[in-house]
Amino acid sequence: MSNEQAEFTEFFQASWEPCVRAVVAIVGTQQLAEDQVAEAFARAWASWRKVSRHPAPRAWVVRTALNTGASWWRRRNRELPLAGHDLPAAPPGGLDASLQTALWRLPARQREVIALRIFLDLDTATIARQLGIEAGTVRMHMSRGVAALRRELTLANTTEADQ
Amino acid sequence: MNTTHDDMSDDDVLRAAGTSLSTLPVAAPPAAQAIMARGRTRRRRTLTGLGLAGTAGAAALALGLTGAFGSAPAYSTGTIRTAAFTLTRNANGTDTLTINPRVLVEPSTLQNDLAQYGIPAMVDAGSFCSTNPAPAGFSQVVTFSPGGTAAGQAVQGNGPGPQPTITINPSAMPAGTELSFGVFQLPTHEGVVALIDKNSYTCASTAPTALPHGALVVYAFPAGS
Repeated sequence: MSNEQAEFTEFFQASWEPCVRAVVAIVGTQQLAEDQVAEAFARAWASWRKVSRHPAPRAWVVRTALNTGASWWRRRNRELPLAGHDLPAAPPGGLDASLQTALWRLPARQREVIALRIFLDLDTATIARQLGIEAGTVRMHMSRGVAALRRELTLANTTEADQ
Repeated sequence: MNTTHDDMSDDDVLRAAGTSLSTLPVAAPPAAQAIMARGRTRRRRTLTGLGLAGTAGAAALALGLTGAFGSAPAYSTGTIRTAAFTLTRNANGTDTLTINPRVLVEPSTLQNDLAQYGIPAMVDAGSFCSTNPAPAGFSQVVTFSPGGTAAGQAVQGNGPGPQPTITINPSAMPAGTELSFGVFQLPTHEGVVALIDKNSYTCASTAPTALPHGALVVYAFPAGS
């Protein structure tokens, strides 16, 4: 195995799970997310000299996975089902289910900035560069998304206390 | 135990969301060798495509067909069809989007397809974003057919039967703008499009009751009709 192959293999194995989790958080379907991320890693290897020098290669994979999603869905000749349809159900009424549902109800941009922060641990400036928006806009989306999730946490807690 | 989450820091909230999503199982990664083989196939295909394009370009130049490979915009015509919408790239660089209001649009599918055709857009279900004041130029960017529609004017009497069509001219979009598409299922089926400043806009989780300037209702009819 060449150095380049060893380097890619290490990157792939360490990055697979966080990239899949980030894409699931954004698109809400697991099987498609795994397919898209696998395709994105194949593209990363096809352009490894470029991707290996990218400042945030995991973010490159996630963006590529999201961008390739449309053609995957077309090839499969079907519409993307509703978010969360193929995910193992969290216990109904539980905090996990509430938070997952709340996340998928957020506007797309808010989901993106939150997923990139949670799973890829990117700072605001890097997220802004990846999404092609201003850092202030990232902060706005983050703040609104977090506020919505906080409301859900409070609501779930109140419901639990009432029962 | 009753605890409040109001005093949780942002990091705590994000950590809770991350923990919640981390309970979902993720399949083990495929073999790295298989991924690299797939990547090699893709690289070969790309190189072959470039080689063919180069050969065709050289042949065209030899024949003096400079219009096909010269300075003309590299617009490729094509159509993307899904159950919810059809997106067609026109020869003049505009794009025609026909929506089937009876099928729920998957936001990320439409957003990705628009991006593929060079149209920056943010598509959301249950949310509509707008900029106040709206960036100038909406009527040059989006026209509704038949007959065209002025910015800020709602489309009337657009029931579930006809499929509304809008034409988008991405080259007319001012720098720093993108289109915002909001689709709603309740209390009405409604699709709204606006031109927004992508660094300054607000979003609402209900369909607009008063249409802001620089926006267009693409379809609207009562749910269940």
